[in-house]
Amino acid sequence: MTDLPRVQHVIASGLVAAVGVSVAYISYTREPAAAFLFPRIISTVFVVLALWTFGKALLGQTKIGNGLDLEAMINIAPGLAVSLIFVFWAAQTLGFYTASTIASFVLLSLYDPAPHRELKTWIKRILITAGFLVVMYGLFARLLSVFTPREIFF
Amino acid sequence: MKNLIASAAMALTALAGGALADDNYPERPIMLMVSYGAGGATDFQARIVTMTAGNEDALGMPIAIINKPGAGGRVGWNWFAGQAESDGYTLGAYNIPHFIAQSIEGGVSYSADSFEPIANWGADPAVFVVAADSEFNSMNDVVDYAAANPGKLTFSGAGLFVGHHIAALQLEKAAGVKLAYIPNNQGGAGAMKAVIAREVLGGVNNLSDAFRAREAGNVKILGVFDLERNDFLPDVPTLKEQGFDIDNSSVNFRGVMVPKGTPQPIIDKLAEVVPTMFANGRVASRMKAGGSPMHIMTRDEVIEMWKAREVALTELLAGL
Amino acid sequence: MEFLAYFGEVFTPINFGLLLIGTIGGLLLGATPGLSPTMAVALLIPFTFKLEPAQGLILLGAAYTSTVAGGAVSAILLKIPGAPANIATTLDGHTMAKKGQGARALQLSFLASAVGGVFGVLLLIFLTPVLAQWALAFGPSHLFWLAILGVTVIGTLDSSSVVKGLLSGCIGLWLATIGFDDIMGAQRFIFHDAVSGGINVIAALIGLFAIPQVIGMFANGRRPLGAEILTVESHPISKAFGEVFSRLRALSIGTATGSIIGLIPGVGGQIAGLVAYDQSKKMSPERDKFGTGHSEGVIAAESANNAMVGPSLVPLLTLSIPGSPTAAVLLGGLLIHGIFPGSDLFDNHPDVAWTFINSMLIGQVLMCIFGLYVAGLAARVAQVPNAVMAAVVLGLAVFGSYSVQHSMGDVYVMAALGTGMYFLERFGFSAAPLVLGLILGPIAEANFVQGSMIANATSSIGSYFFTGPLNLALIATVVASIGYSVWLELRHRRHTAKEEAVAKNEATS
Repeated sequence: MTDLPRVQHVIASGLVAAVGVSVAYISYTREPAAAFLFPRIISTVFVVLALWTFGKALLGQTKIGNGLDLEAMINIAPGLAVSLIFVFWAAQTLGFYTASTIASFVLLSLYDPAPHRELKTWIKRILITAGFLVVMYGLFARLLSVFTPREIFF
Repeated sequence: MKNLIASAAMALTALAGGALADDNYPERPIMLMVSYGAGGATDFQARIVTMTAGNEDALGMPIAIINKPGAGGRVGWNWFAGQAESDGYTLGAYNIPHFIAQSIEGGVSYSADSFEPIANWGADPAVFVVAADSEFNSMNDVVDYAAANPGKLTFSGAGLFVGHHIAALQLEKAAGVKLAYIPNNQGGAGAMKAVIAREVLGGVNNLSDAFRAREAGNVKILGVFDLERNDFLPDVPTLKEQGFDIDNSSVNFRGVMVPKGTPQPIIDKLAEVVPTMFANGRVASRMKAGGSPMHIMTRDEVIEMWKAREVALTELLAGL
Repeated sequence: MEFLAYFGEVFTPINFGLLLIGTIGGLLLGATPGLSPTMAVALLIPFTFKLEPAQGLILLGAAYTSTVAGGAVSAILLKIPGAPANIATTLDGHTMAKKGQGARALQLSFLASAVGGVFGVLLLIFLTPVLAQWALAFGPSHLFWLAILGVTVIGTLDSSSVVKGLLSGCIGLWLATIGFDDIMGAQRFIFHDAVSGGINVIAALIGLFAIPQVIGMFANGRRPLGAEILTVESHPISKAFGEVFSRLRALSIGTATGSIIGLIPGVGGQIAGLVAYDQSKKMSPERDKFGTGHSEGVIAAESANNAMVGPSLVPLLTLSIPGSPTAAVLLGGLLIHGIFPGSDLFDNHPDVAWTFINSMLIGQVLMCIFGLYVAGLAARVAQVPNAVMAAVVLGLAVFGSYSVQHSMGDVYVMAALGTGMYFLERFGFSAAPLVLGLILGPIAEANFVQGSMIANATSSIGSYFFTGPLNLALIATVVASIGYSVWLELRHRRHTAKEEAVAKNEATS
């Protein structure tokens, strides 16, 4: 239990430090120098702080933040996958409304604690999804006339 | 499966698009991208000149303004050239000489060839302003000071490679002095504040904004960077009258364009309807009330103007 | 006292009707993620074309005041700050809502908003000429130091570790440099098309706050988790009144901070809430309770961001210079009617000027009444089951971030930042300092560049940035703020970190 957060802290702060180092590298090598003056100052501070944090994590002295346990990771995985597919692929390809309908319904089905075997549960989920999408359509498409990508419906 | 859906969807839109584009355009609200923030002069004028788009005798569909501000307009025009859909539902506002000067300077992925002009609505000359209690009373006072103190005459403008900067370069060249141009990150409004707060000794700004600031008693206007005096400021001489060889290269022309690749029938329809929309009496009275000079030009005239500017600016910027 | 003469104007049937529409509409628009007050006001401009000047401005003024307060609704209930002004409100407000005290949080926020807002408008009425000079006094060097002062706040804001707070701030400062640099136009760190226009602050805000919360709900899995059986405490309005006025320290710090920095062109509106939150945290004997649903946090943040509304219009109304994007949009609303702000406005159109200002005064009160009225009902949002909430917040985040600039790139940025933030939060990083860095970075950089250009032309950088009473006063404040943070960190070292950290690390301690 104590080891998992420690390893995770090392990984997380290591990633942040890696970002910092690459930002610093780019800042110090790109031209024009005048435009990169500010990034150079920032990235220097960034790298110092990031390495400090990384060092503390290596020594196991990090006190704050307790990482993720296995159960949480398993719980997150499907929802995160659905969300990322929704945002990075479906929203553009299927259209916002179609994609949101599918994503909302799938997320509801995944995380709603009500028993899957009752018809009532499914009707409730469909109604919630439909109601939400109607509100979104009214708010964004009608009231604010935002033209979202829409391939199949709407 | 993914490909199947995608190709089916594409076939559908292609069918629908092909059949309907010419006759029924526009079928839904159109968006107009403005490369400056909400409330800036370009945004404000764009909102006025498009307010009658929904009328039956105009496009019959409203035009919504989308702001994509940043880096003197580069953010918006880069998006417009590279990512905007050329389906006739995405229009863009152009500012000349800004985007042409930026494309000559480089570092952006657009040039005059990336866009198709539709019509021009306004021409806002640059003017030279100083604070109301400044000791400068004419452009000659300014240039004399600069000659005595090379590189120490600080003056503000809306950014690098925009109309104000072009005017500044022209002044430097024509007067043969070294000046300190300070670009402001908050556009014309920020540059004007710098003048009024006396952070800088003077500034180049939009005629419309300077006119308003003078009405409020905050600034003096010393010269207009144009070929003729302006109707709003009949008492202010041009730079040419004051002995500087400066033409109208820095005048900020504003108008509507579409990305390259927009179907020709749509371009034709827009080129026919949009100038009449600008000419609407209600538009003209609102623009006049706001102190914004109008200058309506058709597509053909704008194509000529773009070409002429490209030549003039290439020459001016080559000397840098 | 001229403004009193025009009070009657506000209460004519048409004007009052417009005021009501503006207030209610503004609250709704403000509560919509992705719609900042600037965009809300810009959306209303076309409706004013057909109205008389005074009427148009009543609509816009009412909408401006109430969108700022409306942003608190989504900040408290959904943890989606509608605009940078509402970031600080999420810190304690949303925690309260999760405990079932949403009604209390909303009531406090509306009351504090109204107190701050009325004070701000009164400043606008009585002290405009003085304030105008003060607004002009801030040149590039002062704005630079002010931004640096904001950066020093980062370390102590909503983070149990000063180092990680600063590191989060650095990440934000770096993110702000992505895209075209504002002055030179050079391209920086454009590693993907989605960020070619830079990182939009509103989209980033939505992602950084809303998405970690969605993923956090996923982490709870399919367990029925509290939310359904959570009782939403009803909270009598009289008690909220009592509480707001018993927290006088937070209320006055918030109001004063909001009014003072709201006035400074280009900076104020965005950071007023955060700075006020941080200041009242530092000065409160109960500072450890901040972040755990403490009423002072909500009161300071909300009184500050509404107090800034009135003063932020001072440069516009007196000098005809819009000090904030929203003021620039309001300028458009005046110009289309041929009215020029400045002396012209007060001399030739006093009916328009004072009716507008009065409507903001009345608007604050109306906004508060409506807010209090719906608070109890709105707080029930906390009872929505986790699964539904996750789907709704995700949907709102996607639509909201898209609608800012009609750009898919913003949606990608929102989702990527949000997902990254969830994991960073698990390791002690936090979103508020990151956002503060994102906001302050461009202000610090642009003013540094401009200042050094002026300095190089006239004197030297040293004398431009380090002399003059205002520069020295700001530098002294920066030093004091850093010193205080260091002292806090040293104290933290001795007594273990925050209660939160202790509770979380029971296993190790």
